[in-house]
Amino acid sequence: MTTPTSSWDANRTELELPEEIDLSVELANVGSRTLAILVDIGLGGLVLFIVYALMLLLAHDVTDDWLTRLSSNSLKTLLFLLIFGFQWCYFNIFEWFWNGQTPGKRLLHLRVIKADGSPVSGIDVLLRNLSRPIDTLGPMGLIGLLMIFINRKAQRLGDLMARTIVIHETQIDWSIFDEVAGPAEAPHLMTPVMPSIRLTSAQWELLHRYLNRREQFEAAARSHLAVTIVNALKPTAQGTDLALSPLAPEDWLVELARRT
Amino acid sequence: MTLGAFVRKNRPHWQRLETMLGFIETRGPRKTDRPFLRELSSLYRATTGDLAFAQTHFRGTTLLLFLHQLVTRAHNQIYRPHRFSSQLAGRFFLNEIPQAVRGHLQAVAWSAIIFLMGIALGLSAVQFDERAASIILPSSVLNSIYSGQMWTGSIFSVVPAPVASTFLFTSNISVALLAFAGGLSFGLITTWILFQNGFMLGVAFKLCADYGLLGAMLGFIAAHGLLEISAIIIAGAGGFVVANALLNPGSLSRSDAMAQQGRSAVRMAVACIPALVTAGCIEAFISPSHVPVWFKVVLGLTLGISFWFYLLLTGKATSGRDGSPLPSH
Repeated sequence: MTTPTSSWDANRTELELPEEIDLSVELANVGSRTLAILVDIGLGGLVLFIVYALMLLLAHDVTDDWLTRLSSNSLKTLLFLLIFGFQWCYFNIFEWFWNGQTPGKRLLHLRVIKADGSPVSGIDVLLRNLSRPIDTLGPMGLIGLLMIFINRKAQRLGDLMARTIVIHETQIDWSIFDEVAGPAEAPHLMTPVMPSIRLTSAQWELLHRYLNRREQFEAAARSHLAVTIVNALKPTAQGTDLALSPLAPEDWLVELARRT
Repeated sequence: MTLGAFVRKNRPHWQRLETMLGFIETRGPRKTDRPFLRELSSLYRATTGDLAFAQTHFRGTTLLLFLHQLVTRAHNQIYRPHRFSSQLAGRFFLNEIPQAVRGHLQAVAWSAIIFLMGIALGLSAVQFDERAASIILPSSVLNSIYSGQMWTGSIFSVVPAPVASTFLFTSNISVALLAFAGGLSFGLITTWILFQNGFMLGVAFKLCADYGLLGAMLGFIAAHGLLEISAIIIAGAGGFVVANALLNPGSLSRSDAMAQQGRSAVRMAVACIPALVTAGCIEAFISPSHVPVWFKVVLGLTLGISFWFYLLLTGKATSGRDGSPLPSH
C-alpha cells in the first residue's frame, strides 16, 4: 500500500494503487455535495416529523397546547435522542457501515474515500464528521462551501483532518458496447471483399453508444443525431463503397458498425 | 487491438467482476467462500491489467472511465479496513485512548488551566458585582438562589430522572464534541467553551456561598462533578491538539500536521462520551436524591480518580503502535 503522504503531496487528483496503476477519480462537485447534505437533513427532519406526528396521535387530549403534549416523557426522551443522534451519529454510522456513503450520498452516487484511494476506516469517519459543526452545519456551512471551492481536492476542514476526498462514482453501463445487429435488408449490399474500416476508439465508442441507445430518443432527435454522426464519421469511409452508399443515415451507421 | 475487439474479448470478465462486487458490497465479505475470493482477486488483477492497457491505447474514452470505476470498487473491497470487531473496539478504548491522552499532557494542562481561569474569573466577578451573575445564569436559577433554595430541587422534581439524564448527557456530549471540533477554529471556540463552563461554575459557586447554599451546592455536584469536568477538559484538550497542529505545524504543512494530530485528538474526544453518559445518569438519578452526602462524595471521588487512572496509567503495553490509527487495511 502506498503511504498516505505520497499521494497527498502529489499534485494530482490521481490515486496510486499497489498494482502500479494510476487511478483517476472524479471529485464530487460542490453542488452535488450540498444536495446530498440537504437530502440527509431532509431525511432526518422527516423522521423527526413522523415521530412527532405519531406522538401527537397517541396523545390523550389533542386540544392541549403543543407544549403540554410535548411533555409526554417518552416523547421528550425520544426527541432528545433523535436530535442528538442526527447531529452526531447519523453521518458517522452511515459512512462507517455503508463504506463512505449516507443515504444522500448514495442517491447522488457520491462516496467518501481516503485520499490514497483506500476505503475509509472508523477513525476517518469520526474525524470528518465530528468536525461538521465547524464547517457544515448551519451558518458555518459557508466555511465548508468555501473550502470545497478553493481546495484543489475539494476538501473541507474535516476532510483535510481525516485525509478523505468525496468522489463521484461513474455509473457503469456495459450495454453501450453491445454488438449492433445488422439490418435485415443489408445482404444485397454485401460485396465479396468487404474492406474493413478503421475507426479511432472515440469514434467507435460514439457509433456504438448511439446505435445502442437510439431506441431511447424521440424520433426527431434520433434522426437529427444520426445525420450529425454520419457527417462526423463520413471521412472514415472514404475510398470504400460505403462513402457513396445511398443508405439512410441510421442504416448507414449500422452498416459502418458491421464493417469495423 | 481495436476498442471493439478489446471490449468483445474482455467484457465477460468485467461483467463477472461487477456482479461479484455487487454481491460482496451488499452481503459483506463474510458471506463469501474461498473460490469466490480467489476468483475475485484474479479478476481484479486481470482488470487492472486491462485498465493499464486502456490507459495506454484508449485515452479519453468512456470505457476507460468504466474500468477506472470498476477497479476502484474492487480495490475498495480488497483493501477494505477491518470492520467493527470487539477486539478492535477493546484496543481502541483500552490502549489507544489512554495513549493519546498521555501523548498530549500539555494540551490537557492548557485545557484545565483555561477551565480553572473561567472558575476564578466567575468567582471574582460575583465578588466584584453580584449582578454579573445575570450574564450567564438564567433568571429562574438566580431567583431560586436569592430565595435561599437550590434550583436543582425544582427542576428535578418536575422532570423525571430518565428524561433529565438523557437531556444532560446529550447536551454535555454535544458541548464536549463541539469543544473538540472547535480546535479547527484555531482553538477559539474550544477556549470559549471551556472558559464559559468554568465561568458558569465559578459564578454559581460564589453566589451559592453568598446565599448560604454552599453545602447544598457541593452536595449536589459531589457525585458527578469531578467526572463531568474531567471529561470536558479531555475533550477540550483534543481541540487544543488540533489547534496546536494548525498554529505550530513545525516542518509539516498545516493540513498534514492537522491530519497527523487529529487522529489522537479524536480519540480524546471519544474518551469523554462514556464518561459523560455516566455523569449524566448520576446527575439525574443520584445527585438530586436523598442518599447521604458521604456516599455522593465517595462515589464522585471514585469515578473521577478511576477516570484519570484509566487515562494516565493504563493501556501501556501494545505492539508498538502507540498513537497510530486503527489499522486501516
